[in-house]
Amino acid sequence: MSVTRADRAPDPHAAARGTPPAAARPPGSGVPPAVSVGQRVFAALKLLLAIALSGFLRALGALGVLVCLASLVFLALRLLPGDPAALVLGDQASEVDRALLRAKLGLDQPLWLQYVHFIWGLIRFDLGESLGRPGVSAYSEVMRALGPTAALAGTAVGLGTVLGTTAALACVGPWFGARREWVHRAVLAVAATPLLAFAPILTFIFAVRLRWVPLPGDPDSGAAGLMFAAGLLSLPLAAQVARIGRAALLDQARAKYLEVAFAKGASPARVWVVHALPVASTPISVVVAAQLGALLGGAVVLERLFERPGLGSLMLNAYAARDIPVLEASVVAAGLLFVVAQAMAGFVQAAVDPRGREL
Amino acid sequence: MKGSTKRPQFLEVVPLALVFIAAASVVWLSEADPARLHLQLSWAPPGADRLLGSGDAGVDLGLLAAHATFRALVLALVVASFGFVLGTSVGASAGLSGGGIERWTLRACDLVQSFPTFLLALAVLSAVRVPSRMHIGLVFCISAWAPFARLALAQTRSLRESQFVEAARAMGASPARVVFLHVVPNLLGPVAVQLGTAAAGVVIGETALGFVGLGPPDGVSLGSLLEQGTLGMLRAPHVLVVGALTVLCVSGSLQLASEGLRRRINQGL
Repeated sequence: MSVTRADRAPDPHAAARGTPPAAARPPGSGVPPAVSVGQRVFAALKLLLAIALSGFLRALGALGVLVCLASLVFLALRLLPGDPAALVLGDQASEVDRALLRAKLGLDQPLWLQYVHFIWGLIRFDLGESLGRPGVSAYSEVMRALGPTAALAGTAVGLGTVLGTTAALACVGPWFGARREWVHRAVLAVAATPLLAFAPILTFIFAVRLRWVPLPGDPDSGAAGLMFAAGLLSLPLAAQVARIGRAALLDQARAKYLEVAFAKGASPARVWVVHALPVASTPISVVVAAQLGALLGGAVVLERLFERPGLGSLMLNAYAARDIPVLEASVVAAGLLFVVAQAMAGFVQAAVDPRGREL
Repeated sequence: MKGSTKRPQFLEVVPLALVFIAAASVVWLSEADPARLHLQLSWAPPGADRLLGSGDAGVDLGLLAAHATFRALVLALVVASFGFVLGTSVGASAGLSGGGIERWTLRACDLVQSFPTFLLALAVLSAVRVPSRMHIGLVFCISAWAPFARLALAQTRSLRESQFVEAARAMGASPARVVFLHVVPNLLGPVAVQLGTAAAGVVIGETALGFVGLGPPDGVSLGSLLEQGTLGMLRAPHVLVVGALTVLCVSGSLQLASEGLRRRINQGL
């Protein structure tokens, strides 16, 4: 956005700051003139426009990612060597059966027509019936699986952010004294450990040995099962948040405004949480957004580990059974979940840090 | 910085070298096939014959872990080198040509990097009947180049404006001479830092794919080892411990080595 000097005379921002341009000030009077309602509305509109524009561009990018992913699934199944019908039915199936299935999936049409049908189906939320469960649409299968996955991933994001921020505060605050270096080391250790190495071990300890949480595969594991799975999933995220949050807080530690707050007699908790944390929250939201893809992969792994229903289980089962409509629908749905979560993180970022709004 | 200069060089690479040598020596020295089953030994605990015990259907866990580690490390090495070569050339040429090509390369990097790798893998692997290690490597190669390209581009951009390149141009050096003698050698160090990170990412990604059943069909992968452990969690916990510790050793040693590489290159600069 290029705004020339001439465009913004009289400068609405200057008016909002309460320092009117020198030319507008009547000579000899110390009282600034009242800011007109029109100027304020103009400034607010400009801000809204900037937010809307950046939101639009972000949505466009997210849509691009989604279309790429959908096209990739589509093309992978059709362009790579091998007959999808043979993949579904196996090598022993008769040629007639294969031809029937090809017709049912629309594989006998030219590629561009298939693609148009596919995209049109995506827009109408209709990718055909599940091959594994005839009569059930792929879309309804996905909708049923979306809830548990969203609950798992959402809880994990919330837990991870809170846990990581708390750990970051513990690393910089005075509460642990010299032992805060231990907190930092623990954070680094967790950050370096892959989820796959510690999730099964912790599950064994807490579910099999101590029996504190339901066993994997328990159909009525309920809230305890969800919390445990989400807690495991949140640990890598929490470690990253703590690492970056600590660095961001230490960056602020030397800032003058914290000294002022200390000098005014604020408690350490107040200084760090009320004054420093909001400034450090921008890098934290960046980390959370960057970790969303890994979180989604982790959710698939944990759904497998705990045999929980969800998008990951649906995808893997559809993959194993070569249920093409369900596979396409669930991969696109997972991509949608990912871009929506990323867009939300971007929105939070823009709300916290006004610099992100400038294009 | 003072403390770190006293440190022996390459200390961080030692664990990775140990893990690799241990796995490779088992792979070279023992003739046995890691996929061979001894049904009567199913889930047998560690003993004198098999130091790490047996897993599902009586596979030798020690042998399986060594082979899986070796293959995972080789895969990681191949994918990371591929990403390094391709990403550096793409990034450097985009950085040198500048303008629209540079912008579009950055866009492409954004797109590839914001893709959830797992979904990408699922989309590509869904098209093959039985995913082999080749296919899995291919999936990682699709996205491996992007971080390298981004680093190389940023580095080229700053080298482009640097005084010694300007001086070389002023002395009448041909563009090819400038690129290969002045830009590329100064580019490689900072970009190579990404090698370790990329390799660790590939090992973890391969393990995750194997764990959810997208691994190679012979079951010789870290992910399959872990999956056996979770399946036999109730009757044979030692399988779980072996699997988790192996994954931990491999990814941990890789990360240590990449940290060492980073420190060494940053010191050299």
